[in-house]
Amino acid sequence: MSSYILSFFAQLLLLLFLPPLVGGFIKTAKARLQTRRGPGLLQPYRDLAKLARKSMVIPNTASWIFHITPHVLFTSTLLAGLMIPTLSTRPPLAIVGGVLAVVYLLALGRFFLALGGLDTGSSFGGLGSSREMTISAIAEPALMLAVFTVAITTGSTNLGSMADQALGQSWRFLSPSQILAFAALLIVLIAETGRIPVDNPATHLELTMIHEAMILEYSGPWLALIEWSASIKQFILMSLLINVFFPFGLAADWSLPALAVSLVWLLLKLLLLAVVVILVETSNAKLRLFRVPELLAVAFVLSALALISTFLF
Amino acid sequence: MSESRYDWAAPWPSTSHGVEAYLDVPRELIPGALAALREHHSARLTSVFCEDRVMTEQCFYNYYVLESPAQRAYLVLRAGIPASDPVFPSVSAAFPSANWQEREIQDWFGLTAQGHPNPRRVALHDNWPDVHPLRKEFSAVAELPFAGEQHVYRPTLGEGVFQIPVGPVHAGIIEPGHFSFSVAGEPILYLQLRMFYVHKGIEKRFEQLPVGRCVALAESISGDSSFSHGVAFCQALETVAGLEIPARAEAIRTILLELERIYNHIADIGAIATDVGFVIANAHASRLREMLFVLNEGLTGSRLLRGMVCPGGVRRDWNREQVVELSETLRQFETEFRDLMDIIESSDSTRDRLEHTGVLPTEQARELGVVGVAGRASGIDRDVRRDHPYAAYRHWTVDVPVYTEGDVLRRMMVRVKEIGGALFLIRALLASLTDGAHRVPLPPLEQGRVALSAVEGWRGEILHWIRTGPNNRLERCRIKDPSLNNWPALVEAVKGNIVPDFPVINKSFNLSYSGTDR
Repeated sequence: MSSYILSFFAQLLLLLFLPPLVGGFIKTAKARLQTRRGPGLLQPYRDLAKLARKSMVIPNTASWIFHITPHVLFTSTLLAGLMIPTLSTRPPLAIVGGVLAVVYLLALGRFFLALGGLDTGSSFGGLGSSREMTISAIAEPALMLAVFTVAITTGSTNLGSMADQALGQSWRFLSPSQILAFAALLIVLIAETGRIPVDNPATHLELTMIHEAMILEYSGPWLALIEWSASIKQFILMSLLINVFFPFGLAADWSLPALAVSLVWLLLKLLLLAVVVILVETSNAKLRLFRVPELLAVAFVLSALALISTFLF
Repeated sequence: MSESRYDWAAPWPSTSHGVEAYLDVPRELIPGALAALREHHSARLTSVFCEDRVMTEQCFYNYYVLESPAQRAYLVLRAGIPASDPVFPSVSAAFPSANWQEREIQDWFGLTAQGHPNPRRVALHDNWPDVHPLRKEFSAVAELPFAGEQHVYRPTLGEGVFQIPVGPVHAGIIEPGHFSFSVAGEPILYLQLRMFYVHKGIEKRFEQLPVGRCVALAESISGDSSFSHGVAFCQALETVAGLEIPARAEAIRTILLELERIYNHIADIGAIATDVGFVIANAHASRLREMLFVLNEGLTGSRLLRGMVCPGGVRRDWNREQVVELSETLRQFETEFRDLMDIIESSDSTRDRLEHTGVLPTEQARELGVVGVAGRASGIDRDVRRDHPYAAYRHWTVDVPVYTEGDVLRRMMVRVKEIGGALFLIRALLASLTDGAHRVPLPPLEQGRVALSAVEGWRGEILHWIRTGPNNRLERCRIKDPSLNNWPALVEAVKGNIVPDFPVINKSFNLSYSGTDR
């Protein structure tokens, strides 16, 4: 029991405090690639602290949906985070839900975010919501198909036991279905976290925004909650990708020495994945909005092929 | 007076001084004259403006500035409009390029453009009281009441059609302008523009300052075209005074005009890349622009080339070291610029975003009288440097890059080619730079003289027209920034594109709010 409580709090702390660092690393490394100095690794924490201290401006037209959105988003994202393997193959909430719950919890958050964008009646919020839903309508099935591919090979939709299974076999990654599923998930990761070539997280141009347009009307602590959720979601998707496909280094239990080792592995793998994301982001222009569904359709086809090839090979 | 007095098919009268020829035409013959000139000479109506001469001649004068590919001179038609009957026939239906400028005359002088298809206010917003600030009797220090926003935008009707209001206050550090998009989903059906939020009354201000202080005023018409506007203004003064400036001054002015072109073009190339999310290109473009800013400061004392041009030449001469510094910096710039273009041209995703985006067809560009970079990307082969040469351009041929596709990519390519041309020209000018005086004094100005001056700024054709008054002051100064011609073209270029492509289309034109609003 005590190890369960430890696992719960360890993962909760990890979810709350590691994701901004990942965001900070991506921003800083990107800046270095562009010959800029960058804001520094800790800037996301400073931003969150700054927003949390500020007072809020709430539009007169906002209804209760606008008010609850940040809370629903934050809670659902955290819950989803507690169901994925980060340090150990035993996620604390694995008993209540597997990969389906993760996908739907993330979808719940997005659903409310889109409603929050529409709620105030501002035209930018509406634009952002409509674009977000267009993209997620294709990104979500691709994500699910890709994860199902792994689930079928391992015989479980429980993320912990999926990672466990993967740990047992050597070099499973080289199977064609895994490669296809990994490629599909990588595209979904870029789309879901609002990165170039799908969305530009650094732009100030409202007309081109997707994620940022939905949250334009939010300010102060609520904006902090939304920004925080977004970075946790990015962390969740990255962890999902690395721990389902490259589970080595995951602790089999929640003992402290094993956790320390797996934390080092986690950071190393996150670093590598972040570098991939940064390179994609730096070497590409943003896609024209109407081309984004094509990219996501590629992800969908890849994951469908992955699913089929699990039965072939 | 009858139509037969004029032979519009004849070559335009030559001019002994300056760049323009004048012709007095009765106001009722103006529409016919313009149509005939367009037919016989493919003439383009580039500017329409008015002058208040009520105190001395009991009338207003309307001026129509025309330009033709076959003619070296600008042709200026002048039509008197008696103060007792302040009405003139509108030509906007036949010459859409006159649309805003005729409405400026309505707002600023209180004349009526009869038959104007859209006679609403443009230059003074709807909340202004019934005053006409460019009339002589209007006091520039008068405080006017602010009645609150009263403008009514054209409504958008239809199932699933929405309006997206953007501005006048924007994210990022840019000037105010309101864009009202009518969209059906993402595609843009129609864009309504509203400018003149920062109308500063600069043309009125010119009438109050002694000419010496007017140069600084001209430099502040549009910050990124400081030098071009400064040169345009000084050239007008020099024409009035009949002053020839020294060859060295002409060369220095020309070099600085080209430097202004380069630093703006490189910034635009970077900004276009940013707007499609290709940030790495902008990082290098910004670095290159900074390199030129530092060079500018070393050459003129100002990063934006201000305070350098003066009537009669340039304010300071360059020593040997400065000239060496200039050519060294440009050599380094050229190498790095080629590298940057390699990065941009090897990015397929960038090309995919730019090609076929924001197309401005040649026919529409011609109708709207689009000038400069935007015009050349849409097949309008005009460049003041080649067609009406001034300063050292008289002695050099300028390569004018022209594309016909009219999309964002071609507007960027025109800039790329022009940077190459500018570097070549500067090198040639430096090689042939002669010693000698860098300025001559400007004699006191004779009263009642007029002059037109044209400069190809980096955006396009800049026109200044002045009339001198007593005591070394101006009675009228008309400024035409290229942005005034080109804003309406943006409306055409965005039609049918999707909303998220608007910023990059807008950036590919990169028009000046300040130069338009004045």
